[in-house]
Amino acid sequence: MMDIDDILASVDRTDTSTPESTALDHQLLTRFWVAERGVSELLPWPAALMERILDRLRLQIETIEDLASASSDPMYTTNPNTNAPPTPATTTNLKLSILQTDLSRTQYLLRSLLRQRLSKLTKHSMHYLQLISSSSSPTQHPSSQSQSQSSSSEAHQEPIDSVPAPPDPAADPSPLSRQEVSFLHAHQTLLANHHGASFLSSFPPQLRRLDDNAGGTSMVQGPEGREVVFVRCVVEEVRVVVPPGMGWRWRLRARCLGWGMFGRLGGRG
Amino acid sequence: MAFPLPRGITPPEISFLAEMEMVTVLPRQRLDGLELLGGSLPTLLPPRRTTLPLWLALLLKRQRRANILPPPWLHPESLELILEIETQNDEYQHAFSPPPPLPGQPTLAHRDRDRDRAVAAPVPRYTPDGDKYYPTPPFLPQNVARDHIPPGEPPALPFHWLEVGTMLLDAASDDLVEPDQTRRLLKELREVRTAKIRSGVEVLDAAAVGGGGVALTGVGAMEVGEGRGFIAGVVDGLRRIGASKEQARREELAEEMANGGYDASQDYEDDMEF
Repeated sequence: MMDIDDILASVDRTDTSTPESTALDHQLLTRFWVAERGVSELLPWPAALMERILDRLRLQIETIEDLASASSDPMYTTNPNTNAPPTPATTTNLKLSILQTDLSRTQYLLRSLLRQRLSKLTKHSMHYLQLISSSSSPTQHPSSQSQSQSSSSEAHQEPIDSVPAPPDPAADPSPLSRQEVSFLHAHQTLLANHHGASFLSSFPPQLRRLDDNAGGTSMVQGPEGREVVFVRCVVEEVRVVVPPGMGWRWRLRARCLGWGMFGRLGGRG
Repeated sequence: MAFPLPRGITPPEISFLAEMEMVTVLPRQRLDGLELLGGSLPTLLPPRRTTLPLWLALLLKRQRRANILPPPWLHPESLELILEIETQNDEYQHAFSPPPPLPGQPTLAHRDRDRDRAVAAPVPRYTPDGDKYYPTPPFLPQNVARDHIPPGEPPALPFHWLEVGTMLLDAASDDLVEPDQTRRLLKELREVRTAKIRSGVEVLDAAAVGGGGVALTGVGAMEVGEGRGFIAGVVDGLRRIGASKEQARREELAEEMANGGYDASQDYEDDMEF
């Protein structure tokens, strides 16, 4: 059954053009930035939030440009329509500097966030490419597929062949954004060509793949999922249980006696 | 290459976060309201008090357009009291002084009395995507000036105490009460608490085993940030040393789960914040 709070919230969450929504999105972006900076794996791309923020950013830049061009306009200082004293140039300058500082701060957050994501993507590029290609075609497991390919057909033995094909553009590329998918694919294709041209071409054909998993050891490394994380509990009690067999995520069962507890939790694979 | 900074926000980034804290200012000149990307800015009308983000308050302060009203905790009397809790109180010999209560949480003085009573849960806000959202520092009013402090509410260091305190002492020392005394007390508090963090590394072993954790209640943002690299490194090293033991435990647990003995009925909640 729906809570009364849920009903109230569903009413006021529809409009995203209000200043309250702007402030909330700013807080969400800040929180997402802190989280993305704190964990080793790529977090799901918040597409809707980013779209809203980028739209506002564009509008804000236009506002600033308008204000800047108006303040340099000689007509502005002697406004003929009003008898009020002309707006002092210092106030406009102050406004401009506040708006620009605010803009730069938001841009800094976005830049840092995107660069952190790019750094994670390029570090484990094959891992993420396999992740998105396997999620779009769940019937073919990438590692088993590549293994059968490498043992059966001699034609697919260049490093470039081990780069998974880009997923269907209509499919949801979570946790990456669409731009990140195209970047990552281009990046890995270049890298595979470069590796092939510089040294892999002199190797025996069966050793040329970038996702070789001969001997049960996969060459593709993913992010370390067992590293410690710093956690901030914001409600009285949180229960998160990941079955121990999952092998890729820490298991956590935290009971916070006080809010604001800043706990750190050990990894469990 | 794409990004040179280590994992986890670094001290300069924590200062950046602390600049989003809200503080109270007394404007000295009129300024019309502005729509900022971080929310709207109210019209500044002297001598009406206004709450602004710290970065904006500092910008106005540097241009002598506003005075900053110091937060209640940044006062020699409050700091003396907190320092006394940190050093003299037996209960906090190895712990940090309690942080300010979050919305809906009883204050320390009332906590024992209210423990049995159900505490009114805070009403979460909702994001446009429909998720629950509970604000956390720097978006809680932990640094705004308050005229009336209810009796029984002890002063407490907010999450960004070190950063806000240092920045205010730096840029607005003439707005503070006894800035020199405040500076000395902040320094003492910092030393006492740093010593506690150092002596606390022994408990890190508990965090290295699966499912283990160490509570850091009351530790400030900057203090966590400074220790993060070292603490994470130690715990990771310990985890690697104990990896074989961990492996055995995990198999045991997996077996337990396969036998149906594992309680999997617990629900997931997304109220977790990294």
